[in-house]
Amino acid sequence: MNTATLLWVACPFVVGFFIYLLPRFDRPLALAGVWASIAYAALAFNHQAPINLRLVDNFGISLSVDTLAAFFILTNGLVTTAVLIYCWSSQRTAFFYAQVLILHGSVNAAFACTDFVSLYVALEVLSIATFLVIAYPRSDRSIWVALRYLFTSNIAMLFYLVGAALVYKTHHSFDFAGLSTAPSEATSLIFLGLVVKGGIFISGLWLPLTHSESESPTSALMSGIVVKASVLPLLRCAVILPDIDPIVRIFGVGTALLGAFYAICEKDTKRLLAFSTVSQLGFILAAPEVGGFYALTHGLVKSALFLITGQFASRSLDQLHRQPIARNLWIALLIASFSISGFPLLSGFGAKILTLENIFNWQEVGMNLAAVGTAIAYAKFIFLPHSPSDPAAKPQRNFWIAMAILLGGLFVANVVYYQAYTLENITKPLGITAIGWLAYYLIFRRATFKLPTIFEQFEHLLGWMGLTLILIFWMAVA
Amino acid sequence: MILEALALLTVFLGFFGTILKKNLVMKVVSMDVMSTGVVAYYVVIASRTGLVTPIVVKTPQGNYADPVPQAVILTAIVIGLSIQALMLVGIMKLAKDNPTLESSEIERSNTP
Repeated sequence: MNTATLLWVACPFVVGFFIYLLPRFDRPLALAGVWASIAYAALAFNHQAPINLRLVDNFGISLSVDTLAAFFILTNGLVTTAVLIYCWSSQRTAFFYAQVLILHGSVNAAFACTDFVSLYVALEVLSIATFLVIAYPRSDRSIWVALRYLFTSNIAMLFYLVGAALVYKTHHSFDFAGLSTAPSEATSLIFLGLVVKGGIFISGLWLPLTHSESESPTSALMSGIVVKASVLPLLRCAVILPDIDPIVRIFGVGTALLGAFYAICEKDTKRLLAFSTVSQLGFILAAPEVGGFYALTHGLVKSALFLITGQFASRSLDQLHRQPIARNLWIALLIASFSISGFPLLSGFGAKILTLENIFNWQEVGMNLAAVGTAIAYAKFIFLPHSPSDPAAKPQRNFWIAMAILLGGLFVANVVYYQAYTLENITKPLGITAIGWLAYYLIFRRATFKLPTIFEQFEHLLGWMGLTLILIFWMAVA
Repeated sequence: MILEALALLTVFLGFFGTILKKNLVMKVVSMDVMSTGVVAYYVVIASRTGLVTPIVVKTPQGNYADPVPQAVILTAIVIGLSIQALMLVGIMKLAKDNPTLESSEIERSNTP
């Protein structure tokens, strides 16, 4: 199993470089590299005890794969597979596929490592690969968005490095466990880095523009897996260290509410989805022990939603109300929206129930409000007008295979927590969705208020970072 | 102690530079100042145990510096360098249409 772990970490990087050498086989090679990850995730699920590795010596790299991580690895594999198939006949060059594989590999590495320095390296490689994937169209806008992303995340990671130095100073190793004896400054600096990279709470306001202005497959990759690379370390720290657990949970509630609030007010499909990602990350953080399952369902559903909205004629919801969408697209949209609202029969239901069962009392009001907010936001998609599909339209086989993987995954993942299906559990999400739809029908259908985007300006993003640093420091001291 | 404070001061000066400077290239330079501060901080931490280069020789000459932070920061320097190179290439591309490179101007023309 140890050898398998090492091979699995190295595999995507090796395959990524081979794609450069053999550009003719770019797509099959990429797919094979990603399937190796899925196979490894299956092995990790079967392996009862967590796999812990320490390479070289006491100061070396430490890796750990448990069930929590296995969920994230599976998400990574499925989402990347779907995106690769979606792009299959899109005339993208080998460069794109190589970058996607390196991105996939660095996300895997970030999931596996449990010391701050290896995590730093994995996250920085991830930033570079994401930058290249966002900037792939080479338009001025894409370069600016990518530059903004790389700049923000690099500044955050510099703060993180200072925090890692403080951990080393007190603990003489870079392990996650060292955070327990480290000073509050170390906790706040390291958390700042992870929170910014994960797009959490106010320091995550870089996320909407980045995710909405990229091409659909890139957005699907970013919302589906890239942000989760720094969410898993946060969950790990919360599980290992009881002092940190409340901070992560508070951030979870705050993020869920902030994202849901913005998503309700949004009129642009891709920005709505991006804000919904922020909100769903809050759900993952709200219950650290069981966040893995939620991350899996969210990764599948969000990448499906980004790929579906990429097929629409327009990004504006007002425009889509005048111009009906094809019925088969609408059905795919319906399944995805139902899953994310926590409707029974889809695994979003099980994930939401599992999360809501594992939160503390003080979190309940906030999380239920956020769930209603999600229902309101997705009512905008569910009640879009639709017309029979145009038979003359070209069938998009690759798109539907990608949908089959992602939406099929949502049905199959029900087995993870089938105990959720009790009468009481089923009525609650139905009630929440009903309240959400009612609120949508009465208020938000015609409402035209628009939130300002001033907080998303580049310099404000850096300012938010400073404020978040002070906030986390204050929370860590308290 | 004073050395540590100075290194951290460099980090914060660089951070404020990234916010207050208007030109994109100057922002990247400020980021470099910030990472210089971080590197200096690691070097200061490594020198707490001694100043001699940690290479095993027959007759040790005093206390060794701690090799672990140095090894770590070497990786970070390489990563920082490649990120800066990428950013400058991106800025070069943007400079064709925005010769002044004012970040607020570029932002205005590239935000929906």
